Amino acid sequence: MSVRVSDEMERVRARAKRRLAIRRALSYLVAIVLSLWILLPIWLIASTALTTPEAMRHFPKGVLPFIPFSFDTMRFFLDSHGILPGLVNSVVVALMTLGLSTLIAAPAGYALSRYSFRGRETFRLSILAVRAFPVVILSIPLAFTFISLGIFDSIPSLALMHTALTLPTTVLVIGSVFAGIPYELEEAAQVFGCTPLQAFRTVVMPLALPGIAAAGLFTFVMSWNEVFAATVLTVKNRTLPAQVLVSLREASDAYKFAGGFFMLVPSVIFIVIIRKYLFNMWGQASK
Amino acid sequence: MSVSPLRASGRRSFKWTPYLLIAPALLYLLLFFAWPMTQAIQLAAWEKHGLLSLRDSPGEEGSVGTIEQGTSISVMERRVVPLPVEESDGSDIWFFVEGKDEGGGEVRGWLPESRVRIRETDSSGTPVLGTVRPRLGASAGQGTVLHERPDELGEPVGELSARAEATILRRCSQEVWYRVEGTSGGKTASGWARGRNLQVYADGDSGRVGIGDTGRFTLLHIHRMLKDRFFRSALWTTFLLMLLIIPVQLVLAIVMALVIQSRIRFSLVFLAIFAIPLAASDLAVGIVWSSIFTQNGFLNSLLYSLGLISSPQPYLTAATRHWILVAVWIAEVWRATSLVMVIIVSGLQAISQEVLEAAELFGATLWQRVRYVILPLLKPSIQVALILRTILALQVFAVVIALGGGDVVTVLANETYRQYYALRNMNAAAAYSGLILLLSMVSAVFYLRTVRGGEEAIS
Repeated sequence: MSVRVSDEMERVRARAKRRLAIRRALSYLVAIVLSLWILLPIWLIASTALTTPEAMRHFPKGVLPFIPFSFDTMRFFLDSHGILPGLVNSVVVALMTLGLSTLIAAPAGYALSRYSFRGRETFRLSILAVRAFPVVILSIPLAFTFISLGIFDSIPSLALMHTALTLPTTVLVIGSVFAGIPYELEEAAQVFGCTPLQAFRTVVMPLALPGIAAAGLFTFVMSWNEVFAATVLTVKNRTLPAQVLVSLREASDAYKFAGGFFMLVPSVIFIVIIRKYLFNMWGQASK
Repeated sequence: MSVSPLRASGRRSFKWTPYLLIAPALLYLLLFFAWPMTQAIQLAAWEKHGLLSLRDSPGEEGSVGTIEQGTSISVMERRVVPLPVEESDGSDIWFFVEGKDEGGGEVRGWLPESRVRIRETDSSGTPVLGTVRPRLGASAGQGTVLHERPDELGEPVGELSARAEATILRRCSQEVWYRVEGTSGGKTASGWARGRNLQVYADGDSGRVGIGDTGRFTLLHIHRMLKDRFFRSALWTTFLLMLLIIPVQLVLAIVMALVIQSRIRFSLVFLAIFAIPLAASDLAVGIVWSSIFTQNGFLNSLLYSLGLISSPQPYLTAATRHWILVAVWIAEVWRATSLVMVIIVSGLQAISQEVLEAAELFGATLWQRVRYVILPLLKPSIQVALILRTILALQVFAVVIALGGGDVVTVLANETYRQYYALRNMNAAAAYSGLILLLSMVSAVFYLRTVRGGEEAIS
């Protein structure tokens, strides 16, 4: 009797184990297939961009990528008209956006996470609404305003637009960063004789800095990636994506693919750096 | 979700602080959001010079009626009204000068600014001395007539020869007003109007309203947008892409989230990989996929190597419109699924593990757990993701240009850009952007409701 029961249990356990193993294997399989789906196009564009223009034109394309490995295509792209100034402009706009956006968003984020005040919910909801809004479409009427103010086609005014685009996300992300730091720490510092400002500077700031830096990187990426407003609001001072977009029609394959690769790389590196904060960011930002 | 309780309430005494802290962000968003919005509406539906207001008498401001721009008018009376130089727009300036005529006699009278070359100005820049410009062409050698009042039709009071010195005593501007009558929109109106708003024909009795001075609401630009040959195609394609992209993204994102939550090893690595497209710009992604779909690209290379095709097939050409759509579809699914995935994953993390384990313990299959436990609990997250994606799908732009050039397959954002950039039609561009804003606004209302509902459901 007891033998039979334990036999039965053994069988059940074995079956459960087998099912678990199968399920785990299936999970791995799906995960790997999906990873390939994400990584393959990046791999392909990398192999196209990092070869000679001749190899790029060859058909059919080789099974083995990067043959021959060469920076010729990249060099050709970077030497093309408007690319280097565009690169400089892109970086400058992104840095300005980062600075301005963080400066404005940090206090608002702090207020959202630390204070309860009348209108807090309304403020949060309007931030969420703007976050979801197609802000870049507003660059059309904004172009009109900028022209009449005489600040059209300038790098700082594009940074102003990009700040409007990134601000809601930055507020929410920085808010979540501050919310993750217990208020008790601040309070304890005040008990030990710090003024509220000192407590903020010496206790909260060091803890919040990595998160704010991550938010800043994300702001940078958003501005670096933005095409529509950049194309609408600039004529001579194109950013890199705007320059690539307007010359796309006449561009050779070498120019296109090298450009695509060149724009993709920094953002992918950034997302890898800030992957730890992704959830904080989007969990909050998308709520 | 895990918003930490607000500890500060009641403990801090100065309650102005939070308002001071949020003020910059609030002001900035108001400035860069509300202002362009009103500007867009103005550009799209407001005709700045649509109407001409008629006045009771020259120089008066009150309106006694309006005529539409472009209406034919009959001119009944002409009158010149002097205007201080400071109030004028800088045109039609007249000088009251004093000089000596051919015979040496002293003459005084009004000259138009165009007849005088200024020689001297005082410290404030006001001209005080000039010479009469010589006449050219057929009338060369003739003198320049001085008028009794600052008006070409004024009585002549003397004549100065070319290059004669003239002391400028006074300056004055003038404005010509006409009493006109015209019929527009079935209504006849008559009154005085400024000459610069009118085009008076050579006979002096008739003309038309050149440019109005009063704005009016107009459907002209919106009508032009609706009649545009790309409009229907753009609207239709935008909706079609939405319908094609979003369901696939949702399913894919849920699968990704389930895989990550299934406690396999390296799940953080997989998560990082799945999140990569979050950082990719739509232009870059469009180019990446064009390297696959282009004629000597990777797709054709693969098919050729496998012996499935004998020569490279074109995909991204005008003749293969459906293939461009497919390429845009795949590229957008590739790019924007990550966003949905992250939302779903954070929603999934909020579901308590016990609920899932209980379902598993009672022998529910994977499908049953997904269908009856996970999906219902994920509903708020899914709704949020859906609406966010809907709004983002309205902005699809660079992917379409990178893959299809923007002519054969076009979307609303691309038409906005075309009207602005290629056709230089600010108003139609504003009408398009207004349409996108309107469609998003409708979604945003749902979105806000969902956010509220979602939070209630969670707490």
